[in-house]
Amino acid sequence: MPIVDARNLVKRYPKPGKKREEFLAVDGVSLAIAQGEVFGILGPNGAGKTTTLEMIEGLSDIDSGEVFVDGIDVQKQPSRVKEIIGVQLQANEYFDHLTLSDLLRLFSQLFHRNNDPIVLLKRVELEEKAGAKPAQLSGGQKQRFSIASALINEPKILFLDEPTTGLDPQAKRKLWKLVEELNDAGMTIVLTTHNMEEAEYLCDRIAIMDHGKIIAAGTPQDLILQYAPEPPAAKLHGNLEDVFLHLTGHKLRE
Amino acid sequence: MDVTLAIAKNLLRIFSRDRQSIFFTLFFPITFMAIFGLASSGEEEPIGIGIVDRAANDFSARFIETLGANPLFAVNVDSEDSLRQQVVDGDLALVLVLPERFDGGTAPADLTLLVDAAQARQAAMLRPLVEQALLDVERELRGIEPLFPLTVVDVQARSQRYIDFLVPGLLALTLMQISVAGSGYNIVEYRRKGILKRLFVTPIRPSQFITGIVIARLVITVIQVAFLLAAAVFLLKVPVEGNLLELFALILIGSSIFLSLGFWMGSMAKTQQAIMLLGNLVTLPQFFLAGVFFPVDSMPGLLQPIASVLPLTFLVDAIREVIVNGVSIFAQLPTLAGLAVWLAITLTLAIRGFRWKEVAR
Repeated sequence: MPIVDARNLVKRYPKPGKKREEFLAVDGVSLAIAQGEVFGILGPNGAGKTTTLEMIEGLSDIDSGEVFVDGIDVQKQPSRVKEIIGVQLQANEYFDHLTLSDLLRLFSQLFHRNNDPIVLLKRVELEEKAGAKPAQLSGGQKQRFSIASALINEPKILFLDEPTTGLDPQAKRKLWKLVEELNDAGMTIVLTTHNMEEAEYLCDRIAIMDHGKIIAAGTPQDLILQYAPEPPAAKLHGNLEDVFLHLTGHKLRE
Repeated sequence: MDVTLAIAKNLLRIFSRDRQSIFFTLFFPITFMAIFGLASSGEEEPIGIGIVDRAANDFSARFIETLGANPLFAVNVDSEDSLRQQVVDGDLALVLVLPERFDGGTAPADLTLLVDAAQARQAAMLRPLVEQALLDVERELRGIEPLFPLTVVDVQARSQRYIDFLVPGLLALTLMQISVAGSGYNIVEYRRKGILKRLFVTPIRPSQFITGIVIARLVITVIQVAFLLAAAVFLLKVPVEGNLLELFALILIGSSIFLSLGFWMGSMAKTQQAIMLLGNLVTLPQFFLAGVFFPVDSMPGLLQPIASVLPLTFLVDAIREVIVNGVSIFAQLPTLAGLAVWLAITLTLAIRGFRWKEVAR
């Protein structure tokens, strides 16, 4: 049984500027993610990746369809789902004037737990920043802190929304290493990304989304063979970026 | 409960570390009160009256003396031209011209009152006072006792200054403003920054979060009001006649009403600008209509029915009764009922309207 089982998810939003009309931000998405997998959702801006994640996490109302996370119906028991998942959001803002330790202690209490903030910070190599405020962290450190706060409840599934966007190569590699370690320890990981290298490096399986629909899914290798078999130059064959561009076109988004 | 207390504790920790906030929340209201106190303290300025004494006899001198003995008036005897100019300049409210035949004879002597038409209202107020002074002099000269002597007894049995009337109103007004801003402004900021979403990822319930913020804000409000009250009592010498515990109970009720109102508005407003506008829309009319600066009874009749049911009006009334008249809150059940109804309304709006996520795009 998949640990994340989403069936025909639909989300409607009013069209920007025309409140009367609606568009389908997510248009019949089904996903079956296995326990222990690293699953990537790829797509251009506005493809519906974040909305899909938020419906699975119980943050966004589901207009139609259903999601089961570890067998729990998200629409019926959203707080039970929140007990077993860890979520890292795209926006990384916290209360002002609280240190990393204060924040982790607060989040622990929201889960009725009593975690040691230092132990959590050590897992993401931020123990030296325990007394710092989030505003004083670099981009990579912020992302790692965000993951630390997502690990408080020892989640079965960790959701990462564009975890490496805006990071420099060093910070990016460090985060990948962290994701690999967590996955090696048995955690299922669901992430969204624009970065093809990241998807190819980290993900066991990938779904490519555009205009609210999944337009291709499979292992990175399968997708490359299927959609980018002909390399443009001397390489043996193309890479995942060729697949992405082949499927979603070259037109700029937003 | 531990979740609620964790939220409250951390919000208080944030407040305690936010020096700028502390400065403005404590010192702004105190400065505000001090300025009002200074502006309205001291004795009322006597009204300047000019007298042109054409009679220049014993009779007119007695009259001038009687008028001058009244602390309400500052009498200035001079030539007509000079006094006229002082009326035009606004230094005198009016000039009384005593005719040459002002001698207490049987024939009536016509007195002339010179006023500035631009200040006709003030002159109209003064006329009965002048007439009364004339009547007193006339009675004295004719040696007759008034037929209906009037003795004024203050039922409060103590003097009431304007500042004593004003302070309870200012207290309630400040309470409204810090409460609406404390919840409304913060909630919009938390939502805009994505902090609410970050909390929504955890199993916390809206009621736990709202209660947590309300507890933290109530603690802060009580501290602020205590400071204000101390400033009023020690700097402005405003006596608190009633029970302090009852006063703080009223403060907690009032603060809860306006915190809830702020929450509700915070759930509708998308930006800081929007919440400021909404906040002003709700607080400004109450600023003028709730009887903070002058009694509701003195307002235009059309406005009174509206003014008398505003939440701030109930709060001002109740707090003023406790501070000024020492009336127990249990003797003010209709006012308490009004507050209870507003609390029920605003709390319902706050909880029903609360949203973790973006306000509809």
